[in-house]
Amino acid sequence: MTSTFTMPLGPVHVALEEPVYFHLTVDGETVRHVELTSGHVHRGMEAMATQRNLVKNVTLTERVCSLCSNSHSFTYSMAVENVLGITIPDRARYLRVVAEEIKRIASHLFNTAIQAHIIGFKSLFMHVMEVREMMQDLKETVYGNRMNLAANCIGGVKYNVDAELLDYMRKMLDKVEPQVDEIRDIYDSNSMVLARTKGLGVLPREDAIRLGVVGPVARGSGLHLDVRKDSPYAAYPDVEFKTIVEQGCCIHARTMVRMHEVLESFSIIRQCIARMPGGEVTAPMRQIRTAEACARSEAPRGEVFYYIRTNGTDIPSRLKWRVPSYMNWEALGVMMRDCNVADVALITNSIDPCVSCTER
Amino acid sequence: MQETINGNARVIEDLSLLCTEADAIHHSTDSFGNAYHWFRLGTPRMLTRGAEILRQAEARLAMVTAYNRRQLSEPMQEVCYHFELDGVIYNMTVTLNGEWPTVPSITPLFANADWHEREMMELYGIQVTGQPNPRRLFLDEELDAGILNEAVPLSIMMNGACTTDLWERILKDKENPS
Repeated sequence: MTSTFTMPLGPVHVALEEPVYFHLTVDGETVRHVELTSGHVHRGMEAMATQRNLVKNVTLTERVCSLCSNSHSFTYSMAVENVLGITIPDRARYLRVVAEEIKRIASHLFNTAIQAHIIGFKSLFMHVMEVREMMQDLKETVYGNRMNLAANCIGGVKYNVDAELLDYMRKMLDKVEPQVDEIRDIYDSNSMVLARTKGLGVLPREDAIRLGVVGPVARGSGLHLDVRKDSPYAAYPDVEFKTIVEQGCCIHARTMVRMHEVLESFSIIRQCIARMPGGEVTAPMRQIRTAEACARSEAPRGEVFYYIRTNGTDIPSRLKWRVPSYMNWEALGVMMRDCNVADVALITNSIDPCVSCTER
Repeated sequence: MQETINGNARVIEDLSLLCTEADAIHHSTDSFGNAYHWFRLGTPRMLTRGAEILRQAEARLAMVTAYNRRQLSEPMQEVCYHFELDGVIYNMTVTLNGEWPTVPSITPLFANADWHEREMMELYGIQVTGQPNPRRLFLDEELDAGILNEAVPLSIMMNGACTTDLWERILKDKENPS
């Protein structure tokens, strides 16, 4: 007869410095069952959103998360534009995509860096973070901020770029891209990385569909799911890019989806810079009526979904959003089945979890 | 010129049969041409049938939103279920009974409804019948369900910060450890 023990893990420092508490039922070194408790950073942001006007909520939603902060203000602005019937100017469509893809590159690099850190491959961790730092410099130069870009506003964008800045961005991308290409090869071929990631944390395709997972977690399990392609928004209908799908269903597959996507993002930004239309960057506000609308976009971690109800005043009567991590947490139960205790942190990191996003 | 709104004709037709009121159905697009279909179901009981239709069509549950129809303590609540199928969004809204707000669980059909249902149970006090896992999601058991239905005055919310309430409670707990 085998006996099992319950092992608490967390709430702090499971993969990142964000709190989530795992109850692992272990049989020796093997995890048999996972249950998770969250709510440590539940801030009641949806209630706060119904006490602020539409404009102030751009700032609030940008603070839901740090790594995909731009996706929140972006999707929120789209939801407001849908409810009011605003069409944003062409230049704003392109500038929004540029900001979003810069954030995606930095976010994916951060996640893969943390993976190296958990594996214990410190030099790779430092190297990836150093490359990511160049993207941070780019953000700081263009937007003035390293994390919350404050790029979006209702009806368009708050920033503008001149030819000199576009040239700087292009040069920066030229510098970063070959290094990312090299990093991608390391993640795809280094025996130390592969030993800890290939075939581990498996999420079969059927489970991915059943649990409704999104983003690189879904695409790493063979699902063609990318809001940018499925219901194109902003400038995505005008640019060419591939939806990266891997069939491995394991940690390695999810990592490779992210690495390939970073290179797609470089191409998207380049296309936007080359075709950047002129003109205004914001459309005027319109009268607020009683109505409801939703909007969605593809954040670095997957689909972000916003729903808004207006009641004729400038304060929304309900604002609700669902972040990609919210859908992906339950997949950990499948991924961690019969894994080693030592792999729990690595598997958790492979869904690129965001706790503050999930709990709001 | 009539605008063409994309969507699965079969799903739209089947869901329309569940709507009884005259203005229960509308269709819209955003400025990029993405389609949204809105259905207001006759009663919450029809939700299971609606979810079955979407399940059969292999739609994906994207989100569930519960909200109060009127501001603050008003009892009229609604729940909107957002589904995605081939890039098109299908929204099903149900209006709840004011006295006893209840919806049937759709978790047996869509496994990812679990968190959404648990969240609306704790934040809006909505009963979800047949929910296979009705534990708290984020909030502590000590807090009453339905916290978002109430207007909590700032002075109460900040008790811990600006009154002695919290300190007195700690002292009391210390004296009578249970």
